[in-house]
Amino acid sequence: MASAEVRQIRRRIKSVQSTMKITRAMELIATSRIAKARVRVARSQPYTDKMNEVIRNLGAGSAGLSHPLLERREVVTSGVVVVSSDRGLAGGYNSNIIRMAEHRINDLRNAGKQIRLFTVGEKARAYFSYRNFEIEQAWLGVTDTPGYGDARMIGNSILEAYETEVVDSVEVFTTRYVSALTQKPVLWPVLPIEPPEATEDEAAVGYTFEPSPEAILARLLPRYLEGTVFGILLEASASEHAARRRAMKAATENAEELVRLLTREANQARQAEITTEISEIVGGAEALSGG
Amino acid sequence: MAGKLFRVDVVAPEAIVYSGDAQFISARTTEGDIGILADHEATMAALATGPVEIHDADDNVTTIGIHGGFLQIYANSVTLLTDRAEMTEGGRDEALRLAEELKEAQQRAVEASGSN
Repeated sequence: MASAEVRQIRRRIKSVQSTMKITRAMELIATSRIAKARVRVARSQPYTDKMNEVIRNLGAGSAGLSHPLLERREVVTSGVVVVSSDRGLAGGYNSNIIRMAEHRINDLRNAGKQIRLFTVGEKARAYFSYRNFEIEQAWLGVTDTPGYGDARMIGNSILEAYETEVVDSVEVFTTRYVSALTQKPVLWPVLPIEPPEATEDEAAVGYTFEPSPEAILARLLPRYLEGTVFGILLEASASEHAARRRAMKAATENAEELVRLLTREANQARQAEITTEISEIVGGAEALSGG
Repeated sequence: MAGKLFRVDVVAPEAIVYSGDAQFISARTTEGDIGILADHEATMAALATGPVEIHDADDNVTTIGIHGGFLQIYANSVTLLTDRAEMTEGGRDEALRLAEELKEAQQRAVEASGSN
């Protein structure tokens, strides 16, 4: 019969092992999700490239671009969009981006600017609403596998806020996927739109525009914004899965280490018990033979 | 006999819908229908709701329903940039129907987001 101590240690080992099963499963899931998210980022690339090309050509073909969405105006109210995840267990993914955004918000407030806060993902919403920030709009359930429809929804909302002069600029705080091991929180100014620079050789082409360049530009810019937001969401999603994979890998490794230590402890306890038993038996036999 | 060919790419945010060589394509712009053969002048146009037909080198016709987007013609390369496109086997009428459906879907989405 195992003693109370051994039984207790064994129970702990079992509990750590079942946690380990979960973290390992999450690690595997995240790994496959990264690959999928990366593919989606790659697939969206041609659209983004072509969009940039069209805008460059528009700028080169007509006498420079002019549109309200391109014009910088004095910033009274700043729109801040924070892209976080819906679920935790992703290491520092959420806290890094939230911390960065909060710093920036404080800086802007100290500079006398008003803030309008938009959040993507439950984590950012929970953090800021707990701290009594007023949240203009919160989107949930988009960051796991963002679709273009999600980007359109978010794009339209911030566009509307900008056009109605509720905000005078929009900055997005998101996480860039640098590599599987590195994801970097960044500030991404999306409004006013900074058009891509025209290159030399494209400037020479004379395009025929149907309808006018202005009309095309007016249609194009909202799409461009949506495309930008879509890119941001896709990359944030890839980053989230990468961060989760790393956190879960570390958790699994810790659990393995813990099981190793606990097993050793259990063995020691068992051995101590046997030794005690033997010495008791030997002691008993000695006493009997002596008597 | 196949005419002179040019490159066609139909690009959507989540995938490339179509990519290949064609001898003729037709599309509906905001200004009216446009037919494009090889060596077309450099053009940029806004797309309306309607069918796009692509006749490839073997005279096979691919039809795509499109709602909104942009068309760029430059140096025998045609790019259709759209966020709503759906390919169909059902010919021009089916493509038009799909395009109308995409349009309705968008209007519903706008109404839904407006009522929040």
